[in-house]
Amino acid sequence: MTDRPTLDQLSAELPRDIAPPADLWADIRAGLEPRDAVALPRTGMAFRTRQLIAAGLVVAVASSAITALALRNRGATQQAAEAAPSRPAAPELPVVLANAEHGYTRSVDALQRTLDERRDSLAPSTVATVERSLRVADSAIAEARAALTQDPANRALAALFASNYERKIDLMRRATELAPRT
Amino acid sequence: MPDKHGEHDWHPTNQMATVLSLVFPNAADRPAEADALRIALAQRGDVDAFNEIYRIHAGRVYALCLRLTADTVKARELTQDVFVRAWEALPSFRGDANLTTWLHRIAVNAMLMQRRSEKRRSARITLADDDDGDERLEMLEGVAAPRDVATAIDLERAVAALPPGMRRAFVLHDVEGYSHDEIARMTGLAAGTLRAQLHRARQLLMKALSL
Repeated sequence: MTDRPTLDQLSAELPRDIAPPADLWADIRAGLEPRDAVALPRTGMAFRTRQLIAAGLVVAVASSAITALALRNRGATQQAAEAAPSRPAAPELPVVLANAEHGYTRSVDALQRTLDERRDSLAPSTVATVERSLRVADSAIAEARAALTQDPANRALAALFASNYERKIDLMRRATELAPRT
Repeated sequence: MPDKHGEHDWHPTNQMATVLSLVFPNAADRPAEADALRIALAQRGDVDAFNEIYRIHAGRVYALCLRLTADTVKARELTQDVFVRAWEALPSFRGDANLTTWLHRIAVNAMLMQRRSEKRRSARITLADDDDGDERLEMLEGVAAPRDVATAIDLERAVAALPPGMRRAFVLHDVEGYSHDEIARMTGLAAGTLRAQLHRARQLLMKALSL
């Protein structure tokens, strides 16, 4: 005669995880409100441009944008080069992040050059939108960076800092895709 | 081409992986740190990070919801409700509770709210709630066939057939491992009521499973 398992034993053997329906995330995603509601311009915007703005807004909600770094409107390539995003003083950051920032800024510079070359092929409203989004991105980066200099061991801040750069680069890459090659 | 006209080709998982590997080189060995990172990002509005949280925790949340509701449709709705509520409440999450526990608490609260609204909608007061164990027992007795009485499937079915209050007490205590105090905080039940429900649930289950 075999021993019957106890209720405790049976309970302990129940699976703790049960896979939810595969399409459930899509429903959840649709129900998530952005943290900050920002009115989007609707006229004269192609769908992809709105997507681009949405990407920019992701950056916007990633930070309360306390610090405003300048990425000024630029009409010409030369001006753009001169008005490149302000370079933070790297020594204040931990070495690993300073190195990462160096890599990020190189990517930003390259994308900025491409953007400037293609600027004339974009509608002024699109350029303004892109630049507004980039200003928000820069603010987010600057905010995270400033916080990191006060609390360099804070890993969550470090992640936020890196994430903001990643998103800025993604936004810039998308902006270059909007503009046809000349 | 999707990237030109619709969904862009952002790869949130890769993006997150890049960030994680950069600032958390040992994150794979430190799930608590990785969790903290995802929470911090999601608190700032990062939906990709929240998606990561969902992927990690959805299975446990859905399992709980399924056992609490004993209904796949309701479990889906409840799980969806849990994560939407979690997104809304995440900025106030301070990490003083384990994220899983926090999500479970939301699930229990959401389930209780759903039940209250169902009760209001329903003219029936019977509700087969916590005092009708004997009626439910008749259902339970047919659950387990003698030859496979010891299977987990039988237990799942028997738990599903429990009255809601007993089911909740059993699932939270015996399956999820929460203490009486923790469950009392989640549900607002008095400890004595909870113990009575748990005791009765075990009796019904053991009888149904011939243990």
